[in-house]
Amino acid sequence: MSKSSSQFVDSRIFSDPEIFEDELEYIFKQVWVPVCHESEVAQPYDFRTTSIARENILVVRAHDNKVNAFLNVCPHRGMLIERRPQGSFLEGQPSGNPKRITCMFHAWQFDMRGNCVYVAREKEGYQDRFSKNDAGLRRLRCEVKYGGFVWVNLNDQPQISLEEWVGDALEDMSVSIEHSPLEVFHYHKAVLGRNYKENHDDLIKFRQNITNKLKINDGLSEGSSNSRLRHLGFGHVISGMLRRQHQGEEVSRLYGELLDWAHTTQLPLRSDKLDEQLQRISAMMKSEIKEIIKANAPDQEKVRESETTHNLSFPNMKRGEWLIVDLFPGFHFTIHGSALSVMTVTPLAPDEVMLEVRGLGLKGDTEGIRSKRISDHNEVWSPLNIGLPAWQRDSDLEEQGNDEQYFRQYYNEWGRIMDRLPSNVDEKFLAPPTDVATTPPSKKRIFERPGLHVVVIGASHAGINVADKMRKNGFDGNITILDRQSGGPMERPPLSKAFLLESDQKSNSNYLLKQKKWYRTNDIRLRTKTSVEKINLETKKLILNDGEQIQFDKLVIASGAVPRTLPIAEGIGNVFVLRQPSDAISIRKQASAAKKIIIIGGGYIGLEVAASLRKKGLDIDVVEVADRILARVASAPAANFLADLHTSHGVSLLTGKGVDEIIEQNGVFAGVKLSDGTALSGDMLLIGIGVLPDSKLAYEAGLDTLMDDGGAILVDENMYTSHPDVLAVGDVALLRGQKATVESVHNAQETSAVAAATLTKATPPMIQAPWFWSDQYDTKLQSVGIVPVGDERVYQISRPGKREGGISFWSYRENDLVAVEVFSDPATYMEAKQCLDTGRSPDPNLIGDSSFSPISH
Amino acid sequence: MDLDLEKQIERTIYRAALALDTQQWNDWFALCDEKFEYAITSFSPEINKDMIYFSGDKKELKGLMDMLPKHNTDHSPLHRHTSVYTIDVAKNGETATAVSSVIVYQNMLDGQNSHLDSGESRLFVIGHYHDKFIIKDGMAKFAHREAKLDNRRLDKGSHWPI
Ligand SMILES: Cc1cc2nc3c(=O)[nH]c(=O)nc-3n(C[C@H](O)[C@H](O)[C@H](O)COP(=O)(O)OP(=O)(O)OC[C@H]3O[C@@H](n4cnc5c(N)ncnc54)[C@H](O)[C@@H]3O)c2cc1C
Ligand code: FES
Repeated sequence: MSKSSSQFVDSRIFSDPEIFEDELEYIFKQVWVPVCHESEVAQPYDFRTTSIARENILVVRAHDNKVNAFLNVCPHRGMLIERRPQGSFLEGQPSGNPKRITCMFHAWQFDMRGNCVYVAREKEGYQDRFSKNDAGLRRLRCEVKYGGFVWVNLNDQPQISLEEWVGDALEDMSVSIEHSPLEVFHYHKAVLGRNYKENHDDLIKFRQNITNKLKINDGLSEGSSNSRLRHLGFGHVISGMLRRQHQGEEVSRLYGELLDWAHTTQLPLRSDKLDEQLQRISAMMKSEIKEIIKANAPDQEKVRESETTHNLSFPNMKRGEWLIVDLFPGFHFTIHGSALSVMTVTPLAPDEVMLEVRGLGLKGDTEGIRSKRISDHNEVWSPLNIGLPAWQRDSDLEEQGNDEQYFRQYYNEWGRIMDRLPSNVDEKFLAPPTDVATTPPSKKRIFERPGLHVVVIGASHAGINVADKMRKNGFDGNITILDRQSGGPMERPPLSKAFLLESDQKSNSNYLLKQKKWYRTNDIRLRTKTSVEKINLETKKLILNDGEQIQFDKLVIASGAVPRTLPIAEGIGNVFVLRQPSDAISIRKQASAAKKIIIIGGGYIGLEVAASLRKKGLDIDVVEVADRILARVASAPAANFLADLHTSHGVSLLTGKGVDEIIEQNGVFAGVKLSDGTALSGDMLLIGIGVLPDSKLAYEAGLDTLMDDGGAILVDENMYTSHPDVLAVGDVALLRGQKATVESVHNAQETSAVAAATLTKATPPMIQAPWFWSDQYDTKLQSVGIVPVGDERVYQISRPGKREGGISFWSYRENDLVAVEVFSDPATYMEAKQCLDTGRSPDPNLIGDSSFSPISH
Repeated sequence: MDLDLEKQIERTIYRAALALDTQQWNDWFALCDEKFEYAITSFSPEINKDMIYFSGDKKELKGLMDMLPKHNTDHSPLHRHTSVYTIDVAKNGETATAVSSVIVYQNMLDGQNSHLDSGESRLFVIGHYHDKFIIKDGMAKFAHREAKLDNRRLDKGSHWPI
């Protein structure tokens, strides 16, 4: 066993049979195991047998080319079905038909999807008590990914998807292994009399041995861009060296030269000679290294011969570069030279492990190229490493001082999953006292980190930003975000703007708040289509729509707001509200068939939709009950400016009018009757009359809300609600003492950044003046500060813009600047923002003069 | 058919086995032509493919064997049991091929617990030698050897030519 790991590992973890059984149960039966490569089942009906944690597995390629995995166990009496290591079901077995998996015991037959298709004497033997339709092979979770490996998870409901688990670790390698189809050219196995973890330790040491011999800093300290080492979640480690131009160039160049030289001279690289070789090369460096390399190559003929192949590497890698991905608990992917070598472990007993080694090249390799890859693979991985120190022989490996981190990382992950302290297996894994892991061991524990579990309700501007800021502040506990919507969380503002103008087929991924990769990289668990139905503050559990309960240590409510509706419009077809991407998709679809839309509500959403659909050629009536549009949110001059803009584009604005009746035909919207008796007809209706905070869960749970039966959730300046473990942010939250919620992206971002700072005990962000924007036709409105409507003392001064068509309205309360609304004049907006962020009030008597600078006086 | 030549080839194969068993690498090289090439291959029933575990020429092998004393190796010696099955001398008498069966036992010395393990003999590998000879001045020397292995229990002590 390695000294480095023994420094902090209890030796029983290598020998205790009980621990071994737990490892099979909690580790090997829960993780994704690369059981074979798809090229091993190249043709339909090909199969391969394998095993994980003593469960026999059958991997088959079905007629539709899909690779499926089953337990290799007959559902009839539990006998082992297939005994060969590989083969094809294309030809029938003595007791069965072609294209069938046949159990030789009583000849039950199964198709490639595992369906039972034949039961001997079904009718006679079982009458109607049994039908073959009920008995199929036990199908396993199986995915073909990352260079065509077949990954199987024995847990039918893995805690984590394959991508989330290994995606990050294999990402750097993806460009190489997914470049073109791969093929296994080498396979061998060995059974070693040692624990699988000891084998892992030796592999790590072997890798380090080479690295350290080359005096390559492993990235554990700063300033080494040529080599890389990253500890990823879940105990995975990626290391390697890519040749770079800047720092560390010298060493990496040397390493490359060294390898090239070794290949040219056909001399194998020997770790014990590396020092010497390196020194020699260093000495040569100053004087024309190339010349000396040539002079050292004894057989010029061979050099020329191997010219074509000696620089061979793996796609997107340079000769001399290498990359190793070490996946917990012991799957090892290496690109070195021109080959991909993969080693997997199957623990057999506490002191016995089977290793399988595969060498892979590209499917389209020519013979010459293939033989080069084989020899590169053999250099490290051949079972007959003649004359070379083979990795199996640990006695050749030197102990290195600085490798402790690798082992710590690995054994910590082990401890976390097993809930045992690696240094003393009688004790529980040490996690902070509030750690969820103090709940009784369960299989679910496997992928959880130590530390707090923070759950966020709502995956939109506020909810996603809490998670983002927490990770940026260094939080390393668990974060789960739940949202009842399906699909990747999208930005809301485009939904009334650009998104409505896109064609229906257009992919919506441009509008994602975060790309998929972000969730992986930041280890943030997003669960969509998951609605929280109840918050139990006593037990700190959330109850989900399917009855599942989620334990939290801290809860952040970012449930946002829901659009107000009109009861008289309920249940009528072609009536829409707009809040979620799904709403926008329905509106976009209907609008392409409609001629005229009636919009109730002259707020931002109504006006933006009007502008977008007008561009699409629809006729538009906007009905507003107040006597001007944007009565609650914009100053009168700004509202008038926008009203003119809409009228000039042919939108009819009907202000000061309520809607008394919705006219329908056969259950579908046909028009509205206004309070003055006017009837308007149209094909679709949008109701844009504001939003209500989505606080039902909160007030039912007993949190303070603005009103007894709802309204915004009241929060303090740290975003804490009335419960010490619950925070609220975004549209749903209202700072105690303030009158109205601010529904904007800025508010969502700022409140969530404050909450993240609270939870991570980081310095809170600088509070900026609220800002907001809106796009209508080709005019951009940017506003900063909150325009106090209905305040007699507030007045506006207009200021001509720096560009044509630009104008801004500066709102003052007496001499104090309170808000600025800017149309199509970003430079003025920046100045206005600067004034409000720094509390500066330019002279109201001068601001109307465009030659007066608001920031330099 | 030159019976003497056949006998000589057979004896060369057996001598090679003895030299390899006793790790007298130079004695082995002495039986090989300068152009000698050596490969260890195996068929994998798992991936249904022929595989190459090692290939190299005499010079390379020599270099590697010289390195051996510098490494810590498993000390359990290997013992080859060889039977020559066929020998075919080319019509022009310049080359010959031979196929032999080979069984290699490992006589355990080192072990996880050498107290217990040492002294036990176990089957290491089985396979065939496919040899090619060059005949010069009536003397046959190895030109090429492919050790085609059938079983792959190659976990330890497998850093010597088979
Ligand atoms: C069409 C449109 C255009 C806009 N344009 C602008 C603009 O130009 N500029 C601007 O600043 N602002 C704009 N806004 C406002 C801005 O988008 C919102 O202020 C912002 O989205 C608020 O973010 P939030 O995270 O607080 O809430 P929301 O965005 O409302 O998100 C809340 C999320 O919580 C989920 N949720 C709620 N309850 C549960 C539950 N019980 N279980 C699971 N999930 C739940 C919901 O499904 C939702 O996804 C616009 C809004 C819309 C709808
Ligand atoms: S056990 Fe398989 S058919 Fe009976």
